[in-house]
Amino acid sequence: MFNFIIRRLLYAIPIIIGIALITFLLFNVVGGDPVLQMVGKHATPQVIEELRAEMGLNRPLPMQFVDFLRQIVTFDYGRSYSSKRDVLGMMIQAAPVSFTLAFPGFIISLCLSISASLFVAFWRGTLVDRVFVVVSVLMISVPSLAYILFGQYFLAYKVGLFPISGFSFDPTQVFSYIALPVLIWVVLSFGGELRFYRTVMLDEINQDYIRTARSKGLNERVVMFKHVLKNAMIPIITSVLIQIPFLITGALLLESFFAIPGMGTQLIDAFNTSDLPMIKAQVMVFSILYVVFNILTDICYSLVDPRVTIK
Amino acid sequence: MMRLFVFLSVAFAVVLTGCTKKKEQNLNVLQLATSAKIKGLDPAGAQDLYSSSEIMRVYEGLLQYHPLKRPYELEPLLAAEMPKISKDSLTYTFKIRKGVKFHDDAAFPEGKGREVTAKDFEYSFKRLADPRVQSTGWWLFEGRLKGLDDWRKKYTNTKDTPTNYDDEVEGLKALDDETLQLKLTQPYPQLLYALAMPYGAVVAKEAVDKYGKEFINHAVGTGPFILESFNPSDAIAYKKNPNYWEATYPTEGESSDKENGLLEDAGKKIPFVDGINVRVIVEEQPRWLHFLKGELDTSGIPKDSFNDAVKPADPAKPLTYDNLALSDDLKSKNIQMTIAIAMDFTYTAFNTDSKDIPQLKDKKVRQAISLALDDKESIQLFYNGMATSSQTPIPPGINGYDPDFVNPYRTGDVEKARKLLAEAGYPGGKGFPELPYDTVASATNRQMADYASKQLDKIGIKLKVISSTWPQMLERIQNRQAQMWGIAWAADYPDAENFLQLFYGPNAQPGGMNGSYYRNKDFDRLFEKARVLADTPARTAMYKQLSKMVAEDAPVVFGLHRIGVGLRQSWIKNFKYDEFAFNRSKYLRIDTEEKKKHLQ
Repeated sequence: MFNFIIRRLLYAIPIIIGIALITFLLFNVVGGDPVLQMVGKHATPQVIEELRAEMGLNRPLPMQFVDFLRQIVTFDYGRSYSSKRDVLGMMIQAAPVSFTLAFPGFIISLCLSISASLFVAFWRGTLVDRVFVVVSVLMISVPSLAYILFGQYFLAYKVGLFPISGFSFDPTQVFSYIALPVLIWVVLSFGGELRFYRTVMLDEINQDYIRTARSKGLNERVVMFKHVLKNAMIPIITSVLIQIPFLITGALLLESFFAIPGMGTQLIDAFNTSDLPMIKAQVMVFSILYVVFNILTDICYSLVDPRVTIK
Repeated sequence: MMRLFVFLSVAFAVVLTGCTKKKEQNLNVLQLATSAKIKGLDPAGAQDLYSSSEIMRVYEGLLQYHPLKRPYELEPLLAAEMPKISKDSLTYTFKIRKGVKFHDDAAFPEGKGREVTAKDFEYSFKRLADPRVQSTGWWLFEGRLKGLDDWRKKYTNTKDTPTNYDDEVEGLKALDDETLQLKLTQPYPQLLYALAMPYGAVVAKEAVDKYGKEFINHAVGTGPFILESFNPSDAIAYKKNPNYWEATYPTEGESSDKENGLLEDAGKKIPFVDGINVRVIVEEQPRWLHFLKGELDTSGIPKDSFNDAVKPADPAKPLTYDNLALSDDLKSKNIQMTIAIAMDFTYTAFNTDSKDIPQLKDKKVRQAISLALDDKESIQLFYNGMATSSQTPIPPGINGYDPDFVNPYRTGDVEKARKLLAEAGYPGGKGFPELPYDTVASATNRQMADYASKQLDKIGIKLKVISSTWPQMLERIQNRQAQMWGIAWAADYPDAENFLQLFYGPNAQPGGMNGSYYRNKDFDRLFEKARVLADTPARTAMYKQLSKMVAEDAPVVFGLHRIGVGLRQSWIKNFKYDEFAFNRSKYLRIDTEEKKKHLQ
């Protein structure tokens, strides 16, 4: 197990360097010049050159790339070009905010959709199943902005069930602030997840061993929970664990409309302002999380499925 | 990671068990919102409107615009009086107001703010020149103050030499604690405007030294409000400065100010409110809903809610800025409205020195395109009627604006456009290459570009729309890859020089402001003559002449001057629209009785 993890981590190094290289090249080819925006509208060419030198952007590209690799190891990405604040500090401030919104949304929709999928799989082919499928397709088809605008206008402004927007870690307020965005999150993800898990469950339900279990006279509850759910764990784990890095990177529209100062808008802002330090930091942190959770996924396989052994 | 995960799960569990009781709210606190994340609170980096507004709640400079008088007029703020200007207009001597103190802050001995001296201004202005600071305000002093450029040069590209602020600079000197002397290399009448900008604010060396790179998050000024908390992407809170110097509400203003109730607080000590909360809300809908609910004191009108918020005052006529009234719903809420023409202009620039599309060098081609791009419909389509066509770069309200002048190439006369294009050798657009049009990627910009290409179809010119991010577009303009692009200019100060310099030949360089590379020797000569003059009728006449020259040569297609429609709650008193309104919250008063009534 230990060897496996070490080996996978070593494999990850060229992947991370590759991602770094692609990010770096893309930025330098099509990214737009950050200096022109930083110097303001009145700058002379001389001032532009001075700032370029001051920021080290006039140095040869390979040297700049080596700096980037060093930053990946030290996690010191410097200061944002646009806000001049410490990039890592900005991310550390924003990530828990995003997570506070995303985690409950994720857990609630996961529980709901898995239970519903078992239920639907049990009643497969009946009216119940069809109603669920149609409703989930409808839910997926409505654009997310529509849910947000409706929820905010109707539930928050007209009925006054929730605050219109805002965020605070203050324990007396945080629940009311995240309630509506979490609700919308659940509504947004439920349809898609239900359809996915339903397919997963149906795959298992039609297997020979399920028929055997039934013919042994096991009751349906045991069949569904002990056999179907347990054997469906592999695709469930794959989809769940790989979503976790996305929870930290935030939900762009929800954060933006509910004025939640999370990471959702940070990366978009960074692209729009050619804020290289922020782009580098976000891409790298996300890639590293992605690789780590991939490894975790493999380890979890061996935990739920005895046939999978880690060598 | 795991620990963070556990911590967050526990934190969330704690949070979920919390209740949602509301705290008692102080009604005498302004509730505002800003639509952009705040980039920092260092006056040396006060580049955008949003940051400048926050910076100027805390910081102050030597001069400010009179809050009520129009046209805009400067008055002393931290200067004790207006400066003495030598006969040759090259030496400015300022007396500093006595008894003004910096906010109490840990940067000072025992945490007590000390008195501001002339030396502090010397330091603050040198900071704009310091290459380490990377100030966006250096252009205000560049080449203007004797010896300051040399001082800057000493520290440019010399990372190991620490900047020495004690080095004497001839043109920027504190003669004693109360006297600041500026010596100019050439007459520069805009200097006083420059000093009223956020860049001219005074900072304390102690605070800059103590906080270093974090100074952008720690505002220590002399202003009416003290920064209480600062999260640039969420919320900013200020409280009233208990030690604010004896500033008072103005006792005179425009003739209409008295009837509008703007002089009721004349002579009273400011500020009136106990504090300010500013929330960062990027999206329009939540800002608008907060305002309608009375949770925000001021607001603009979102583009998509425009027709619900206002109606034509005279229903028989179309909705324009001079035919505008609040909807019945807003009227019943007693909401107040202000309409004002912004000191800006939008334009479509040509690369008049283009290698790829040399046709743009031909004045007739540019004039033809200018004629084909009619703005009457686009003002309705994209601005809800809230804009007025610009004939020249100079907007109304600035000396040099000529209300009677009609730009002959902004009439929307398509026949004339076709004729000019034919004269240039492209009858019906035959042989004219596909014309790239650069724009910043956004839904509205895309619609505007599509609309422009529909209009140019009429004279046979095909547009190719290129959407990019703002820095990408700036780079394309700088590298002269852009041939035609949409952009706007907003006044830094109320002087036409600020607009006309966009067409000044020496500014035609990579990264320079004259992005269209327009060069006209007569223009340059007259501009150089005009810009060093004080504000006189002779100068105004020159400005008018200059703008006519630009109109004739059409290096850009003049677009429009935008019109701002601002709303505020009935309990906000002493509000007057201000183009350079960076420190106006100190004059606002809240009628707490009325607010209480409304909230109940």
